[in-house]
Amino acid sequence: MADDTIKFTVDGQEIEANPGQTIIQAAQDAGIYIPYLCYYPGMKPYGACRMCVVSTESGGRKGVQASCTTPCAPDMVVETNNEEIVELRRGITDLLMSEHPHGCLTCHRIELCGPQDICQRHVGVTDRCTICPKNERCELKDTVRFMKLDMTTPLQYHRRNLPIHTDDPFYDRDYNLCIVCARCVRACDEVRGDTALSLVSRSGVALVGTSHGTSLLESGCEFCGACIDACPTGALVERDYKWEKASAKVSTICTNCPVGCEFVMDVNDRNKVVRMTGDLSGEAGHGQACFKGKFGYDYPNHVRRLKYPMVRIDGELQRTTWEVALGAASEGLSKYLPEERGVILSPRGMNEDHYVGQKFARTVLATNNVDTGLNRSAELLATLHSQPGYGAATNPIWGIEKSKCVVVVAGNPTEEQNVLAVPVKKAVRAGARLIVIDSRETELTRYATTWLRPRPGTEITLLGGMARVIVDEAMEDKDFVRDRLDGVDDFKRSIWSFDLMRVSQITGVSEDDIRTAGRAYGTSNPSSILHGSDGVDADDHADLLAAVMNLALVTGNIGREGGGVYPLFSGANTQGGNDVGAAPSLLPGYRRASSEADRDALSEATGGAYPQMRGKAVREMVGGAAAGTIKALVVMADGWNPDAAGMTTGGIAKPEFLVVSDAFMSETASRADVVFPAATYAEVSGTITNLERRVQKVNPGLELRHEEREGWRTLAGLAITMGGIGFEYGSSSEVFDEIRKVVPDYAGLSHDRVERRGIQTPAREEGSRGTEILFSSAEDGKRLSLVQMAIREPISRRDDEFPFTLAHGRVLLRPEEDVRIVRDDRDMNRVERDTWIEVHPEDASEIGVEYGDRVAIKVETDASAAPLPEFALVRLSSPHRGFVAVTTLFAEVATGIQDSDEIDGSPSVRGLPLRHVSLAKAPALREAGMAAD
Amino acid sequence: MSDGNPPSGDELPASAELRKRARTALQSQQQPTVTVLSSLLAVQDEFHYVPDEAIEETATHVNATINDVWSVASFYTNFRFTPPGEHTIDVCWGPSCHLNGAQNVIERVHSELGVDGEGETADGKLTLRYSTCLGACALAPVIAVDHHMKGRISPDSAAAVVEGLKGA
Repeated sequence: MADDTIKFTVDGQEIEANPGQTIIQAAQDAGIYIPYLCYYPGMKPYGACRMCVVSTESGGRKGVQASCTTPCAPDMVVETNNEEIVELRRGITDLLMSEHPHGCLTCHRIELCGPQDICQRHVGVTDRCTICPKNERCELKDTVRFMKLDMTTPLQYHRRNLPIHTDDPFYDRDYNLCIVCARCVRACDEVRGDTALSLVSRSGVALVGTSHGTSLLESGCEFCGACIDACPTGALVERDYKWEKASAKVSTICTNCPVGCEFVMDVNDRNKVVRMTGDLSGEAGHGQACFKGKFGYDYPNHVRRLKYPMVRIDGELQRTTWEVALGAASEGLSKYLPEERGVILSPRGMNEDHYVGQKFARTVLATNNVDTGLNRSAELLATLHSQPGYGAATNPIWGIEKSKCVVVVAGNPTEEQNVLAVPVKKAVRAGARLIVIDSRETELTRYATTWLRPRPGTEITLLGGMARVIVDEAMEDKDFVRDRLDGVDDFKRSIWSFDLMRVSQITGVSEDDIRTAGRAYGTSNPSSILHGSDGVDADDHADLLAAVMNLALVTGNIGREGGGVYPLFSGANTQGGNDVGAAPSLLPGYRRASSEADRDALSEATGGAYPQMRGKAVREMVGGAAAGTIKALVVMADGWNPDAAGMTTGGIAKPEFLVVSDAFMSETASRADVVFPAATYAEVSGTITNLERRVQKVNPGLELRHEEREGWRTLAGLAITMGGIGFEYGSSSEVFDEIRKVVPDYAGLSHDRVERRGIQTPAREEGSRGTEILFSSAEDGKRLSLVQMAIREPISRRDDEFPFTLAHGRVLLRPEEDVRIVRDDRDMNRVERDTWIEVHPEDASEIGVEYGDRVAIKVETDASAAPLPEFALVRLSSPHRGFVAVTTLFAEVATGIQDSDEIDGSPSVRGLPLRHVSLAKAPALREAGMAAD
Repeated sequence: MSDGNPPSGDELPASAELRKRARTALQSQQQPTVTVLSSLLAVQDEFHYVPDEAIEETATHVNATINDVWSVASFYTNFRFTPPGEHTIDVCWGPSCHLNGAQNVIERVHSELGVDGEGETADGKLTLRYSTCLGACALAPVIAVDHHMKGRISPDSAAAVVEGLKGA
């Protein structure tokens, strides 16, 4: 790098730049400020606002250039502030200000006025600084202040009198304040790949907008907030806390999903979280956010937070002290046998909470019944330790951008792990092939080059078929197979059973499509796989993971940049939970609970005895509570909705003794014997580990108002009350210091080290910078194994009452369908449309319906799933007998969250599992109307 | 979905018909390179305007989003998004026509049509457009009815032309 550094001069100062850097980037790196508006880090140069003009002289040629589009050249002489430039810039500012209310910029009282004060300058009511939602946090203002505008009274500007859009979820849009820098349009297009906004019309009246000026609900918006974060004015703002100013900004991590995006949390002077903004320097999120992280953050502010510990006296939960509550919990828990007790930890819990939780369960309650609330992978890890060894992604999230082929199996990252879908879309833009294997239609199918819709439950066979194509056509990475893999011959023999014709019959996917997918994956170099487990039977998860790993291994896509395997799991810190042993079969550091040597080693390190018994996973514990086999439960419930996870309806059934720590009186908490008030993400200090193994620091922005406690403190307190040894932690940082001792992958980490920048585990040595890509070299000595696969016959489910398997998909928009926007009673937009249901032609004739007929859908109840429409119009496009599919719009989720009365809506976004339904012909709308007459 | 919503029930077949026509128009483009612009032109040739449904069908056809297509469509003043009248009257107000009294012609046409600017008449039958030059300056002032030029027009003869169109 050092060789091709470009040296040039800015304002008399010699600075250095990397080739390809523009003048503004190099100047910023050198600490020289050039005012700009349309330029935005991470986006392509645009050169629209001309605010960043500088004078340049290079090779004897003089000129005035936009510094955001002009690359640095050797020996260039740049001046950013000479008379000519200042004059030009003022001209540009004048033009901008001619349509932007700017009382805020030209008033000497700006620091003196309060929000309620009467304006002393005869500025029109609508133009006053206090009327702008971005007052004093406006980038335009900061930029223009640099130019020192003249004070004018009354304001000389033309108000465009455009309507203000306040009827969409989450967003307010006031284009009177827009300066048409197109940052939002580019954020939506270049960064997110959605293009829900565009520039409309031209010349003087050009403006940001949507097609026909429609609601964002039908423009394809995913409500990620990228446009808001990029907007330099008050034109785009979050509706919640719109007028609030931050008194402090705290760097933290979002705890809604395992991507772990870095955020800047705005806190106001009344101890409330008022805003979340993606942190552009973040390595996991790259400054991106999603509807959950951007808009589902404010539950810590809620008045209904639990404030004090409570115990049940005479059937009523009554306020008490921590001492009494801990005593009551301790006494209650002591009455039961180890196998009757269990601990469920919050998926949002910190590593520290999880560690102390499992230590409490094991050394105090003497049970291995401990798990995190959304964990589904712990048992897989136990069985597959010989293979990858980690449940996490082998490669970094943004490595997907470098993939030439991305396969997404049985997962819906756009909704579940939103920001993970961003590099996928970017890779597709850059020419990568995207193969989506899902019977549902998801947002990513729109971007897919190949969308395979296997019969539900046959995904593993399809992956086996792809492996067969790769082996048949000799597309393996021969060096990798020879040097790194074991079990190759057995694997190849097992793959012989995957005769393509048979695979095609079983999966319902044509042989050609299987070949296309196999070749795309096998020949694109590198290729990555994102695999979920939606619609895959729980017993088959291990086989799915094995099938995915086999594909990646045999093509050498492990340990390679742009390759890798990305599991799509739920729960912000499920990964950390497994790392620190919050799983029934895993002790900290992936030691086995079943191994005596492992238990002894741990016992020596931490004190206390570790039990041998087989522990119950979260589903078994929740089921056990209902069945009576689990009699005493400790539940850390923050942000965990067992209903949405499909485990319960109406919260966890009451075991004989129930202890709950929660921020709110959830259904589960309301039937507890002891309730502890929990601190939320905004109030704790700790670490979480995301799906790419990045350990990141969560920092507190709020002070605890009442007697709430962090999870680890509650659990340690309980442990000490029950006589546990080694729980005297003074801070979460001390807990982490114990974690590094017992979890080798964390040995090189500490709170201080991950304070500013997360580090990917394994980080085993002091000072280690972590491991971006697992298994990247043969030196780590780990040979990897292929796993034998067996073709399996599909299990035909014959149910006369609900004969059809329904796949429920959800997309951002369906341009080819008519959508109507209606206003609800709160004057908010809502989407109405006719849902179409895909039915196989033979099934259709069996139930006596044709194209366009209306059918009534009856669903076998599944309260955890997203609601289905009652009626739909028939389309004869289902690829399989007995298989039907509907696709609803994401807009329904957005309005659903907006209307929800739930305090913390984000854990309750309902998933899209397969369901069983019956269909019956229903009268057409007009006939129904006539019948009603 | 509610039964008390007859308009939506009635809308559906009409819009399905529009979509079908739009798809046919989009698919019958002969040139090797199909772009958003060429697709929009094909649609406008078919309908003489660009209906909402056609924007959506165009987006699907060229694999762009509706907002992308709208961005292009709204840029060009050539595209119109409401149905034109059955007949179009272009009145030229270029320099030659202006010097020869185009302003009086325009005023008379306005009063005959009952409009005060470009656009459709109340009954939607006639469309009035201004033109800055129809290329027949020697015959100024000029108007064109459905692209057929009529030269040396006076307010009275313009009124007669309008009258004739109204009757048609």
